[in-house]
Amino acid sequence: MKMEEVSMSSLDNSKLEGLAQDILSDLVEDACLGLCFEVHRAVKQGYFFLDDTDQESMRDFEIVDQPGLDVFGQVYNQWKNKECVCPNCSRSIAASRFAPHLEKCLGMGRNSSRIANRRIVTGNNTNNKSESDQEDNDDVNDNDWSYGAEKKAKKRKSDKNPNSPRRSKSFKHKNSMMGPRHRMDNQESPRMLMKDEAFPQ
Amino acid sequence: MSKDSQMRAAINQKLIEMGERERLKELLRAKLVECGWKDQLKAHCKDVIKEKGLEHVTVEDLVTEVTPKGRALVPDSVKKELLQRIRAFLAQHATL
Repeated sequence: MKMEEVSMSSLDNSKLEGLAQDILSDLVEDACLGLCFEVHRAVKQGYFFLDDTDQESMRDFEIVDQPGLDVFGQVYNQWKNKECVCPNCSRSIAASRFAPHLEKCLGMGRNSSRIANRRIVTGNNTNNKSESDQEDNDDVNDNDWSYGAEKKAKKRKSDKNPNSPRRSKSFKHKNSMMGPRHRMDNQESPRMLMKDEAFPQ
Repeated sequence: MSKDSQMRAAINQKLIEMGERERLKELLRAKLVECGWKDQLKAHCKDVIKEKGLEHVTVEDLVTEVTPKGRALVPDSVKKELLQRIRAFLAQHATL
């Protein structure tokens, strides 16, 4: 070992360069050999030619390059006027309006935090009352669902657009009808009370 | 001359011991896949196999056909980067 190290230190640059070249060609050869083994195995196992197909099916899946069509040859704005069915209220809404509608309908997002708050308040009340809260929750859910069904007919006539303020207002109206007493008990949200009284119907 | 080959063996030993050879191999493989070398060679393999026949092709056939081409097709940038790293290794360990 000692001798080797001495001989190493006495190397000149050209020799080092040659050594580096040799190591590189060794590595490249290794890589080639690895590829050969890989290909040979693939051939013997029968999966080497799986990925190339005949010309006919290649033509079927060619990329379409025509104005007005996407790469699959379909008209690309055919989804523009599609309608989506809301999973919460099962109304069909234009796809472009679906996201804002869902935000309101599910009570998530910025603007509908008030709706969400109100829901939390009613939830707390039912819990405080410690009656069969399961049933009460069901009531709330039913309200949610029947709102969509019952409102559908009216909505179609008056306003096609499932607008959020309108929706939240009518929601409030419905809830104040359902249980004004619950809210009276709760002193935590006086602002909510004011709001509800602002729409006596 | 025997001293020279002895020294080569020592360096190679060191490359393996330090794990540097494995690292270099991995780097080279990644680079070659990246630059399309592997796909080119695979296409070449396809020709060779079709020529020899699927059943009769051997690893030796593939090696003799593919290795010269494989060596020639390695891009200069990849060679340069590998050489750089090998030189750095040699500079570090040849003067210990």
